[in-house]
Amino acid sequence: MDPEIRYFETEMNRGFLQILVLAMLEKDMYGYSMVRTVRDLGYEVEENTLYPLLRRLEKNGWVKSKWDVSEDRPRKFYGITDAGRGLRAELLNIWKKQDEILKHIMEEKSHV
Amino acid sequence: MFEKLETYLEEISHFLSGREEREEILSEIRSHILEKAEQEFGEATETTLSKVIAAYGPARRVAEKYLDGRPIIAPAFKRFLFRYTTLLFAFHFVLTVAAVVFKKSFLMFPIVYVPSMGPFEALFYLPMAFLFDLGVVTLVLYLITQSKKDVKLPWPRLSVDLDEVKVPTRTIGRIIGLVAMTALTGIALYFYIRYQTIFFVNLDFAHHRPIFTPEAGQWYSLILIGLWALSAISLAAKLVTSSPWVDAVEKALSLVLLGLAFRQPFDTALPVHLPEGLVRWINLSLTFTLLVICIFVAVDFIKALVRIGRRQLAK
Repeated sequence: MDPEIRYFETEMNRGFLQILVLAMLEKDMYGYSMVRTVRDLGYEVEENTLYPLLRRLEKNGWVKSKWDVSEDRPRKFYGITDAGRGLRAELLNIWKKQDEILKHIMEEKSHV
Repeated sequence: MFEKLETYLEEISHFLSGREEREEILSEIRSHILEKAEQEFGEATETTLSKVIAAYGPARRVAEKYLDGRPIIAPAFKRFLFRYTTLLFAFHFVLTVAAVVFKKSFLMFPIVYVPSMGPFEALFYLPMAFLFDLGVVTLVLYLITQSKKDVKLPWPRLSVDLDEVKVPTRTIGRIIGLVAMTALTGIALYFYIRYQTIFFVNLDFAHHRPIFTPEAGQWYSLILIGLWALSAISLAAKLVTSSPWVDAVEKALSLVLLGLAFRQPFDTALPVHLPEGLVRWINLSLTFTLLVICIFVAVDFIKALVRIGRRQLAK
């Protein structure tokens, strides 16, 4: 991919990843399982970006976590909080509005 | 224990030093890498782990994503780092020249102390002064950044031309100037070699009468010839390069030469005895004229330094 397009894609992904994570965490998940789930849907998440994002969301109270040490390998599971649900609703509204604006403009252009 | 994985985590740990949650971050990364190796390559071995680690990214970049992106100096203030350092250093430089010429110390509490020194010591002192100025300005901008206040930093509007487009008329002017300055320097040098001065009361060279005493005449003549020669060299250099360093070096050396002019006392420079009041008046007028010239040259010097700083910033 063209490096310039990749740059813009990274910029766009930054916002998208936050909504995506908040949407996925309705069910408790750990980092690698989130990466796999998204990949199966045809989208790639940078692993080294996902974990710092989860940490920031947790710091702000939008996500909670707990270590599961019942198996051989300890895993850190994340889940959404009520505050996180509120944030997710707000972000989805913004995203929908942006999508509508874009569609409206593109339709207008196609009529010209 | 996988050596490559532990080395990688150790590297990340190094860049995360000081963070409370470092161990937890590392545990999470370890868990992720091991699981990915097993899930995607069948088992975790040194070879498969190397591939997973390579995909995860360089240790420094990984660590940086956990660190708050707060800059030491806010982007809006970065340009002031160059500007203020340049201004402070120019001031420091002028004082250093004065300290060398007048053999005096200058103290401006709490930031500037310039001890009396020789030219050789000044060469070592100036780089240190520059680093000090840079440090002071950095510290001030850091404190302003950390205060998170919308401080509007002052800066005079200087007519500094950054683009310096080569205009043909300017090049022609420089060529004419170069020819004139070279001729002037050559003629002055000829007179100096022949009469040890270039300052005369009359133009009858068979019975020439110098304005100054032989010692003062030699001193002032050499300084003036030096200034003209500098100007000629600078004009020649500007024909081949548009580097602002040409101006900066020319003005710096000109300031040194002008400073040296003060070392020759004016009141004993004349070979004839004049009334004390008149001598004082001449002395004051010459000092004032030289100081005005020095100020103009110093302003040009600062402009050249600002232009250098802005070029670096533009790059």
